Amino acid sequence: MSKNVSAPLLRTARLLDLVPFLNTHQGIALKDLAVHFDVTPTQMTADLMTLWMCGLPGYTPLELMDLEFESGYVTIRNASTLAKPRTITFQEGVALLLGLDLVASSLPEDRTDLLTAVDSLRQRLTEILGVPIKLSVVAPASGAVSTAISHAVQTNTGLEIRYHSLYKDQVSERSVMPLDLYDSEGHQYMRAYCFTANDYREFRVDRIESAIAAAVPSDISTDSMNQEKIRFSIVGRYLSRDVAERFAISDMPLGKTIELSSFSRQWIERSVMASGGAVVLKLPLNIRSEVAKSAQLMLNRYKEA
Amino acid sequence: MSRKIERLINLTIALLATKRYLTKSEIFRTVEGYEGSAETKERMFERDKDDLRSLGIAIDVGSFDPLFNDEAGYRIKSESYQLDLGEITPTEVSLLSLAAESWQGAAFADQAQSAILKLSSIGVPADPIDIPGLSPKLANSSNDLETIAGAVGSSDYLIFDYLSPKLLLEKREIIPIALSNRSGFWYVSGVDSAVQEVRTFRLDRVHGAITVRNNREAFEFPSDFEFDQIDSTSAIRFAVIDVRKGKGHALRALATSLQDLGEWDQIKLPIYTIEFLTAQILWYGDDVFVHEPSDLREHIVEELQALLVNHE
Repeated sequence: MSKNVSAPLLRTARLLDLVPFLNTHQGIALKDLAVHFDVTPTQMTADLMTLWMCGLPGYTPLELMDLEFESGYVTIRNASTLAKPRTITFQEGVALLLGLDLVASSLPEDRTDLLTAVDSLRQRLTEILGVPIKLSVVAPASGAVSTAISHAVQTNTGLEIRYHSLYKDQVSERSVMPLDLYDSEGHQYMRAYCFTANDYREFRVDRIESAIAAAVPSDISTDSMNQEKIRFSIVGRYLSRDVAERFAISDMPLGKTIELSSFSRQWIERSVMASGGAVVLKLPLNIRSEVAKSAQLMLNRYKEA
Repeated sequence: MSRKIERLINLTIALLATKRYLTKSEIFRTVEGYEGSAETKERMFERDKDDLRSLGIAIDVGSFDPLFNDEAGYRIKSESYQLDLGEITPTEVSLLSLAAESWQGAAFADQAQSAILKLSSIGVPADPIDIPGLSPKLANSSNDLETIAGAVGSSDYLIFDYLSPKLLLEKREIIPIALSNRSGFWYVSGVDSAVQEVRTFRLDRVHGAITVRNNREAFEFPSDFEFDQIDSTSAIRFAVIDVRKGKGHALRALATSLQDLGEWDQIKLPIYTIEFLTAQILWYGDDVFVHEPSDLREHIVEELQALLVNHE
């Protein structure tokens, strides 16, 4: 239900949805019913009292809905007019369709049974919406990888992963104990203890090329080394959205020094190179001279060719 | 308040149960809760109709008697009121639950939850899916998604400030037709009023609130829109570059062909925009060398010269 619907209308909608739900959940405990509809038991009792007064014109006991809830368990009779659930709203349909698309892209490719079922649901829901809205979600990471990680987190088991490090431009094989999954800045990360590095590490899930369940040592050494962040400063030469997004800065005051820090020297050097003429690295001097050296080396190659 | 709620429910029941159109006077006479002067009842009824419509309940207006077209009648058709997904299997119920749970704590969480309540009212038990750990989540969702979905439903205009590649805020006005998520980012596509063509915008580049403006004119959904227009694979031009063995993994992932040259591999990859590819190539420093096209090469050389001058 959208947020701009008033409280009495929200309650009307809830009462209309309560009838079909009770029809298929006869004898449900009042407190469980309250949980399903996300209201307090007191509110649920008030809702049932109101519903009890409703029915077909005539409003004699023959036409009113027959509700029984004094025992703490709820049953309903004589409610055939409202017995079927209401059709889904446009927004509810959009929510389900986007979710289904994500589910489809997270399923293993060989589960054609489930993929066909998702397709059929999508078609039926689209028909109900009646507007040709286009919706598409592609899971950022391979379905097999995220499924293997969630399973490992739930069962406290280890994984053998192939990880592509963009900073180091390397693909490495690592043995890890996943701890949890979290989202940050539009990407999903896996926090894990890495037995290859003997330290806690964070891995971007979309850069994990494969993940296979594997036995790992049960003891995690706690004497992990703490990495120091490298401080660096840049100056913007012209405005560029790509540069602002790469360095995660909300605005780019031109000509002003911007102080930043990173764990990786390679990341700093590569990010400055990728920004071309838009950014000048002021400090540290050693990375600055590496940038100049790389640029000179590459220019020479282009001149020779 | 609860009198009004009772009246709305009684009105819904009466209009659903009737096989023929009910006239206003019949409604006032038989449905409980319509009291007061004729004018009061009239006002009540008008408001009740609007309220039910805002809950998504379609009230059908028709003629009471086809021969005498004088008095309008009202009814709610059960086929438009009731959820009709046809036969639904226990596996399908589980898939729909997974779809709804993917919104946990995100934009459409409430809508997904109310949809699931309706689905569970059908009374088909769920049959859990035999893939351990399968619980995909739609992360990083924006509250704008609800606004956008609403505007798609009614073909209304969306007006917002968008961060251009030059980092300037530009006013954009679109009629949205599509919502998508790629690599964890949300995109809205729509017909841009300024160019009358479909354009795609990344939601985290929208600044401030999105305004909705009612569209009273008929809108025709562009039929030729496909999502691969916003995927980089639909590029028309290609670049040919050398990549050192074991290096340039992100560029290799985009390659459409690869030729082994010994110390290097030569790959062909699509050009999405020259600027985007230049940044990707420069990221890898001297592990990458561009052969063609010449405009990409020139652009790389210009950027390298600027880098050299800026850091000497």
